[in-house]
Amino acid sequence: MSVALAARLIDVLGGLLLFTMLLILAAGQVFRAIYAVAAQAVFLGIAGAVLAAATGNVDLWIIAFITIVAKAIVLPWLLIRVVRRVQISREIEPVIPVHLTLTLAAGIVVLAFHLNASLGPVRQTVTGNALPVGVTLILIGVLVMASRRKALVQMVGLFASENGIFFTAMAISQGMPLIIEIGVILDVVLGALVMGILVLRVRSSVDTDIADLESLKG
Amino acid sequence: METTPAPVVRTIAQAALLVLAAPLVTGYVQKLKARLQCRAGASVWQPYRDLSKLLRKGTVQSDTATPFFRAIPVLVLAATATATAMLPVLWAPAGATVPLGDAILLVGLLALARFLLAVGALDAGGAFGGMGASREMTVGLLVEPALMLTVFSVAVSAGTTDVNLLAARRAPLLLSWTAPDLLALFGMLILALAETGRIPVDNPDTHLELTMLHEGMLLEHSGPGLACIALATHVKQLVTLTLVAALFLPVGLARDASPPAIALALAAFAAKVLALATFLGLVESSYAKLRFFRVPQFLGLGLVCAFLALALRVL
Repeated sequence: MSVALAARLIDVLGGLLLFTMLLILAAGQVFRAIYAVAAQAVFLGIAGAVLAAATGNVDLWIIAFITIVAKAIVLPWLLIRVVRRVQISREIEPVIPVHLTLTLAAGIVVLAFHLNASLGPVRQTVTGNALPVGVTLILIGVLVMASRRKALVQMVGLFASENGIFFTAMAISQGMPLIIEIGVILDVVLGALVMGILVLRVRSSVDTDIADLESLKG
Repeated sequence: METTPAPVVRTIAQAALLVLAAPLVTGYVQKLKARLQCRAGASVWQPYRDLSKLLRKGTVQSDTATPFFRAIPVLVLAATATATAMLPVLWAPAGATVPLGDAILLVGLLALARFLLAVGALDAGGAFGGMGASREMTVGLLVEPALMLTVFSVAVSAGTTDVNLLAARRAPLLLSWTAPDLLALFGMLILALAETGRIPVDNPDTHLELTMLHEGMLLEHSGPGLACIALATHVKQLVTLTLVAALFLPVGLARDASPPAIALALAAFAAKVLALATFLGLVESSYAKLRFFRVPQFLGLGLVCAFLALALRVL
């Protein structure tokens, strides 16, 4: 696969990643947000595979495969299981209205792409829009974490943010070494497990909301 | 070049095709929905029968309506039918086009039709009409700017706002889709659902509920007037679908007037409209209608997609 074709494919996949990110933001129900983040992980895995084919880096094939298995299948399955188990209402409870978050997201995208112009000297393996898309995903993921009340949706934001970090790493450095990538993915899986168990335990023992924990502050 | 039919003939033929085929698209969507609900459903020709029935009926008019009310259906149909003349259906002109107008006028004509309908609904003095008009204009407020942004995003890449030239210039670039194209397409598909009055935003099947948007404005119309507005609604739907096809899938457009080329163009057009109409029907069958105050959130997604499509193109 030629480098030019790979750059174009990564560009298109970047557009799809952005769109799934907007879907996560606009989702009115927890399940939709989870499906959107799963789709995002699939596109991310495909992007990794494209880069692997273009650069001939064998590690990237393995990372792409692990990404799809762990982030697109295992983690969403885990989240859906937790949602079913705790039987919370399926509505997303935003701290600020969803359309305001969408406006903020549009601003973030414009800022990230504007910033890209000043990042010109940064050496990129994939020229084009991969770097600003990655930065955008990280920032909007943080926005999701900050603007949603439900712990599960905050986890979705964390995964999206992690996807952004992964995409940025691929854009700048042809992917990090295999051992680091595996470590990061294991970290995320472990974090999801801990958070899932925590949500279940908190729910079953005190029947409370994450926002109620605010009142514990001294 | 000599074999290309005159631009005027071309434009009239395409506009006539769009107007005549428009009820068939509605019929197809209704048939698809019926089949998905395990019903036999009415024939795909049913909208034509409804139109011919309405044309034979008399007209009843509200006492409070002014004489202008009578002109509303004709004006709505005229504005919508004029919009069809700006779209490439079968031919992508290599050279001259009829200087009728561009995508901006097209969106403007659709907005004019929307405005006239709302004025007519208010004129008749019914409570449903006023409410439907208010809601329809709220949706229009969100849809029209987003539609313009999408069109601009594509126009920037092609360097023209004339939809005919735009389709002709983008036809060879089909496989070089970039991120802004994708975002614009997704935004456009969301907007198309609203613009065709389909389910997440409006329910085209309901007539006696407080949820209706478009149908609420039609309640006071009857007979041939209602037929005109119903036809205008069908045409508007096909115009929206054709606009999506022209902006994002300008393949298979004929370069000359030879019968094989025209047959191929006709088949390509039918396939594109069929695919988009199937999308409408599937979405309508698998989603519930949104509460009205949720609609801005849904359309906000389309608006942000359209804005980003333009922003990414420019940045």
